[in-house]
Amino acid sequence: MAVTPEQVLDAILTEGVRAAEARAGSIGVVSEDGERIELLAQIGYRPEVMEDWQEFRVDAPTPMSDVIRTGEPIFISSVQERNRLYPSLAQVGQEDGHALVVVPLAVEGRVFGAISLSFDHDIEFEPERREMKIALARQAAQAITRSRLYAAEQAMRERMTFLAEASQLLASSLDYNRTLRRLAQLCVPRLADWCAIDMVDEDGGIERLAVAHEDPEKVKWAYELQERYPPDPDAQRGVPQVLRSGEPDFLPTIPEQLLEDAIGDDHELRRIVDELGLKSSIAVPLIARGRTLGALSLIAAERHPVFTAADLELAIELGRRAAVAVDNARLYREAERGANAARALAYVADGVVLLDRDGTVRHWNPAAAAITGVSEDDALGRPVAEVVPAWDSLTTHVQLLAPGSAPRPVTVPIVVGGHERWVAVSGVKFGGGTVYALQDVTEERALEKTRSDFVATASHELRTPLAAVYGAVRTLRRDDVQLSESDKAQFLEMIESEATRLAKIVDQILVAGQLDAGAVELELTECNPAEVAAGVIESAATHVPESISLSLDAREPPQIACDPNKLRQVLVNLVDNAVKYSPDGGAVVLRVRGDNGSCRIDVLDEGLGIPSGEQSRIFEKFYRLDPQQTHGVGGSGLGLYICKELVERMDGRLTVESEPGKGSRFSVVLPVRA
Amino acid sequence: MKAEVSQPIRSTSLRRRGVAVGGRRVWSCQAGDRPRSRSQASGSGSATPASGAARRVLVVDDERAIRLLCRVNLAASGMEVIEAADGRAGLELARKERPDLVLLDVMMPDVDGWTVARELAEGMETRDIPVVFLTARADTADKRLGEQLGGVGYLVKPFDPVSIGDYVEDVLSRIERGEREQLRREISSGRER
Repeated sequence: MAVTPEQVLDAILTEGVRAAEARAGSIGVVSEDGERIELLAQIGYRPEVMEDWQEFRVDAPTPMSDVIRTGEPIFISSVQERNRLYPSLAQVGQEDGHALVVVPLAVEGRVFGAISLSFDHDIEFEPERREMKIALARQAAQAITRSRLYAAEQAMRERMTFLAEASQLLASSLDYNRTLRRLAQLCVPRLADWCAIDMVDEDGGIERLAVAHEDPEKVKWAYELQERYPPDPDAQRGVPQVLRSGEPDFLPTIPEQLLEDAIGDDHELRRIVDELGLKSSIAVPLIARGRTLGALSLIAAERHPVFTAADLELAIELGRRAAVAVDNARLYREAERGANAARALAYVADGVVLLDRDGTVRHWNPAAAAITGVSEDDALGRPVAEVVPAWDSLTTHVQLLAPGSAPRPVTVPIVVGGHERWVAVSGVKFGGGTVYALQDVTEERALEKTRSDFVATASHELRTPLAAVYGAVRTLRRDDVQLSESDKAQFLEMIESEATRLAKIVDQILVAGQLDAGAVELELTECNPAEVAAGVIESAATHVPESISLSLDAREPPQIACDPNKLRQVLVNLVDNAVKYSPDGGAVVLRVRGDNGSCRIDVLDEGLGIPSGEQSRIFEKFYRLDPQQTHGVGGSGLGLYICKELVERMDGRLTVESEPGKGSRFSVVLPVRA
Repeated sequence: MKAEVSQPIRSTSLRRRGVAVGGRRVWSCQAGDRPRSRSQASGSGSATPASGAARRVLVVDDERAIRLLCRVNLAASGMEVIEAADGRAGLELARKERPDLVLLDVMMPDVDGWTVARELAEGMETRDIPVVFLTARADTADKRLGEQLGGVGYLVKPFDPVSIGDYVEDVLSRIERGEREQLRREISSGRER
């Protein structure tokens, strides 16, 4: 069981008084600031005598003050001698006054106090007796020093333990708000009666994060108090001043006047302050990397002794550690957020480019690299105009928006690696710079172009037959010209055939549109391809010119699974094409064969053939052999596209082989019935 | 404007001037006219006699229906019509017959209308023959191309064949008045006919 310095002092004094056969005694110790003497132990004096002597100045005219100042013992044999030497003490303890001894308490030559012994009779102190008293004082000094050292060590150990605990707590979680609340809890009652933590928020305001007291009721009350008496952020003392200056604010004893000024005429507040019993306060800043993040306040009130310099030191250290923990947690969170953002941006399909206010690239995600053809390494930290020379033209028309507005992308072409790409660019300007979103819309644009080409081409295709019908009607209705009978007949025939052609084109446009939309329904049934082929030949024979020979070559083909109507449609189209491109005397053959688990239907002709470079493209919508679409043979440009789409929807394939000048072979391969 | 001063006088307008002078084929020549142009024009045996001559229009279109419409309606306006069913035949006829004007389709097999117009403009004998495109291609870009290739008119199908004769006559008389450049510019300036 540890002995406190106070207990040691009491024991030494008691023992000293008894050994010296003195009536009373006291031990005075110099205060920390070296200006006062505090009586830390006393025995035998009447309380009313000592009432005014609990604490007095080192330069006061008393024997103890002199001893402490000079380091020399004083031996006074009678009250008369005392009063002669110290006239100001004439009225003190007059009736008990006899001999008095005051010897210094020193360790290693440094006087830290004195022990005084009063006797109940006058004594002429012999040298031996004096030596005895001095020896006693020496022993007492050593004992006191030991116990003080021990106490100091003990206190130090406690502080270290506390700091260790606090550090462990601070390191336990990245949720620093929660950690700081627990830290405040840890401080009471070991460090103070009250502990409060205030943080500087993003707007520079002060936010009370935690208030701790042993009694939760009092904590509640403290918050209510704060509600009612919000702190003045411009106050010249306390937390606001600490946050402003970054310097601790230490009041070992809260001056009455300070409280009086704060209370004013508010009776309620006076009652509260009286009840709180504020004694001593410390407020220290939480500083990390030169920034004041908040403040930690400690108050000694009803139980805790007034704070000492050691308490201030501990509070400062605690504040420093808390600040580092908060800073680390914030940095970590920021880094994590940054890493998460970067991770997210790495996988976003849109290019994201962040420029600082000077136009230097600060972020360049992989999509931005892909779109611009410039790698992240080559872009980061460089002026964007240097990274992408066309940047200005890319962003000239981009209206920079405020954060949160709906983006208004502008689509512009850029050339990357010799290829033109279309990029939709939008930009948002914020405090730290500008962030651009780049979207590669090259494919969408190509699709859009295909769509608009489709519309344009469809309208071209419709215009010619329409011109014929309209023109024929207009001409027939002319009353200023007498048309010959044969002309009239030709115009009527023209109206009929061109109207039919119009209908066919419109039909195919519709079918192509339905195929594109996936809206064509097929009825797959078992069917005999030879029968379908025979039907196609039969109906084609009625309008094929005599100069072209048309034949069917079917050798016991397998049954297949298909939509017979759609297959017929495909074959009619292929045969019509073959006939159309056949020279006079040419042969068109429809050949049906079983082929390795599938059925192959070939349409062969001896026509112009198709250049090999074009063969893969003839199945595209509106694709004509001549890029200028100069074929005026009356097709819609959709026939082969529709054929291929239909065959593929029947799980088959449509291919072409051709040698220019010799002819072509279109092959439909369909699976046999499962 | 310099461009207009240096513009050679077209054979058509030369012919018209000839008519104005009298019964004989008299060719007038203005400053800036190229001698070659004159010699070719005067040296051509197929030049239409000036007096009472009908306008001769070459229709180049692979669509029989369009050719028929043009033939019947231009004839109704007293014009003579020659026809070609494809670009190659059109070029041959233009060179051989030296028509007063060509009505030219664009989308034709093998040699298309653009090619025909380009070759006509490049040929010394045919460069002055006015070309009017008659096509289903209605895009602005197409019209611009037509203008670049030296066309003096651009008709989009469907067109009114009843007024085609008046149209051709109007174009030819404006060219005679020296408005050829203006006609050309009107193609893409949005002025619809």
